[in-house]
Amino acid sequence: MNPVNALRYHWNVNVLGPAVLRLQRWQAERRPARWDTRYLAPPLRIAPRTKELVARHWLAGRYANGYRKVAWVTSGAPVELLKALDFYVLYPENHAAICGTARLAVDIASEAESAGYSRDLCSYARTDIGAALSGKTPVGRLPKPDVLFACTNICQTVLFWYRVLAEYFGAPLVLIDTPFVYTEEAAGHAVRYVRRQLEEAVPVLERIAGKRLDERKLRQVGLLSKRASELWLEILQRCRHRPAPISVFDQFIQMAPIVEMRGDPETVDFYAALLKEVDERIAAGVGAVKNERKRVLWDNLPIWYRLRYLAEFLARHGVAVVASTYTNAWGELAPLIDPDDLWESMARTYIYPILNRGTGHKLKTMRQMVEEYGLDGAILHSDRSCKPYSIGQMDQRDRLIRELGVPALLLEADHNDYRVFAEEQVATRLAAFVEMLG
Amino acid sequence: MESAPTIPSRTATIRAWKESGGGIAAVLPIHYPRALLRAFGLLPVEVWGPPRVDPAPGAAHLQPYVCSIVGNALSFLLKDGLDVADVIVVPHACDSLQGLGSLLLDFVRPRQPVFPLYLPRGRRESDRQFLADECRALYGKLAAITGRAPSEEELLESIRREEEADGLLAELHHRRRALSLTDLAFYRLVRAREYLPAEEFSALARSVLDTPPADPRTGIPILLSGIVPEPMALLDAINEMGGTVVADDLACCGRRLYPPGVSGDPFRRMAERILDGPPDPTRGSPITERLQHLVRTARETGARGVVFYDVKFCEPELFDLPLLRRGLQEAGLPSVHVEVDLNDPLSGQTLTRIEAFLEMVAGQTEEARR
Ligand code: SF4
Ligand code: SF4
Repeated sequence: MNPVNALRYHWNVNVLGPAVLRLQRWQAERRPARWDTRYLAPPLRIAPRTKELVARHWLAGRYANGYRKVAWVTSGAPVELLKALDFYVLYPENHAAICGTARLAVDIASEAESAGYSRDLCSYARTDIGAALSGKTPVGRLPKPDVLFACTNICQTVLFWYRVLAEYFGAPLVLIDTPFVYTEEAAGHAVRYVRRQLEEAVPVLERIAGKRLDERKLRQVGLLSKRASELWLEILQRCRHRPAPISVFDQFIQMAPIVEMRGDPETVDFYAALLKEVDERIAAGVGAVKNERKRVLWDNLPIWYRLRYLAEFLARHGVAVVASTYTNAWGELAPLIDPDDLWESMARTYIYPILNRGTGHKLKTMRQMVEEYGLDGAILHSDRSCKPYSIGQMDQRDRLIRELGVPALLLEADHNDYRVFAEEQVATRLAAFVEMLG
Repeated sequence: MESAPTIPSRTATIRAWKESGGGIAAVLPIHYPRALLRAFGLLPVEVWGPPRVDPAPGAAHLQPYVCSIVGNALSFLLKDGLDVADVIVVPHACDSLQGLGSLLLDFVRPRQPVFPLYLPRGRRESDRQFLADECRALYGKLAAITGRAPSEEELLESIRREEEADGLLAELHHRRRALSLTDLAFYRLVRAREYLPAEEFSALARSVLDTPPADPRTGIPILLSGIVPEPMALLDAINEMGGTVVADDLACCGRRLYPPGVSGDPFRRMAERILDGPPDPTRGSPITERLQHLVRTARETGARGVVFYDVKFCEPELFDLPLLRRGLQEAGLPSVHVEVDLNDPLSGQTLTRIEAFLEMVAGQTEEARR
């Protein structure tokens, strides 16, 4: 390691950066709410801290090259291995979501489109490839990857996308292929296959990291990962309470650490604090939507560039979006992680995310949520550039209506590309949906 | 030049097979162990769409941003097009085929059993072991529904039969320029591999290969890449515009020229054959490997340009395209990209683009000669 890089990293990430971020947090804590508090609860007190935590993560990334090894990973990847080997871990999907929320995604994706990447491809992938090609990013600078770590448990798209990144960066691609679980149980040979790949990945990652994997450290990371996921699940489950203390839109914003900082002690502390605040809201009778009349489910990715619009529109009509198959995905597998049998439990945990399971399983999850959260309806975001999440929604919607008698809306949009968001059409459809809710 | 062989139709083949007491396995794209199905007396009949079906039934289950290969397969099934099948096999290739397999199992539930088959995305030892296990698991499912249990020797015999047919298929591809067939006739012949029993295909291929060689075909030589050359009138149109397809990297053809296996274990050998096939994005082949394969194939066959003929909304193709086109350009091979929907007739716009491309390639060739 070059001592100049180490000094630069330490100074910026551990001394100067945190001071600046603390100041920004202090300012943010005093800023008036941006979302309409006539219908929505005041922002969570923890929100500026979330921003600080996330900003610090990206700041560390900015100075990582030359000091720490960097891995670019997919959102459902077994990150514990990388954390235990001290990689700086970057999630291109999270970066793309930040670009989406800041409404920069289309500008950045256009860079990829000009290079020939079709507008029919996943808009996260386009945003990320665009950022790699142009250097454009709202987080300062993205570190170059020393390794690309892709796990197919969210989609096959990530494999196609990471193969492109491998060419641009000349970085090795480590693949953890997780056979799709069509039926209730994954086949034994599929779990064995995932486990073998995890074990095979170790020497490759060790070589890149320049160090040996310490099993004790891996266990520690596994414990932290499990604890953070449990806390996240508890927070989500608090929304069974009426009125729901936070909405799914809050969850979308608060989920960044569970995705990109799973396995860090700060993440556990952060979610413990969030849970405490959520409980305080419950004790004080505060609901995320001031006049909660109806409670609905959100399926699929967020529409990042219209979070506020959707939250306010629905809240105006007393509709609280309180449960989501998406945010649930980072909590529901917590019980599967077993730090005492890490390798086997990692193989199982990482084969079972909702996106790696059948369309019938997703319907089952939605049904369960309707019952457990006392839901009156469902919004299924039909996400134009995310096929794995969207295929099946037409049948799922029909079954929700037919079998549970709840109104269900298929809302056409895209998670990051606002060019396919037809504002008027969305407003009309949402209004009709709200009317059906009664 | 035309001396096209008589190829039994899909319908006639299916009827004859059924009459002889065999069953039919309707198989979706792309890679699967033919030999395994045949060992159970099931004739694999592939479903690449098919083109030009009423898309309405499928549209009740699938959003319009799903490719027409998947949409049409579902529409065809819902319109009883797969009634003749005794089992449906859905290999995994992409998010859309994954979704289709899952929809069939959970919601559509056709009367036939549906067997998905997961395809690993690497060529590591773990991938080989997994695919062998996956084939073994499919064996178990087929045994349960057919009541048969082919022996190891029967499985190996079935594999050898397919290997022979694939060897002849590769030979046809290799000698295509010297065969007295138009592009349309050639693709009708090689695509008969999608439904003919291997031994019948082998006999047909042999008869064509044994025909005395014709004068090598003339025309601007191009390489055709993509999923499937539909509508097949495209091929005649290319010939009429002065082009000739001298090689392909089509998912239904050139990407399935599987080499013979080596292992004595039948399941392992089925896996080897699939994983050792030519580069394919749906098997996770690195883009560089695909590029090298395209350049090498073009050099060997004399192709002077590449037509990427893709099905709309096909991620595996679309992700690789920019780097492939850039790499080809650097290697002196121009390319053009067109996208089609299987339900659309061959459009004037598509033809105009291909024609303009052929003219450009011809111009370059002319210039180089001068
Ligand atoms: S948005 Fe969908 S297609 Fe894109 S990476 Fe995520 S799961 Fe895959
Ligand atoms: S055309 Fe492409 S997206 Fe459609 S099934 Fe084939 S590989 Fe998948």
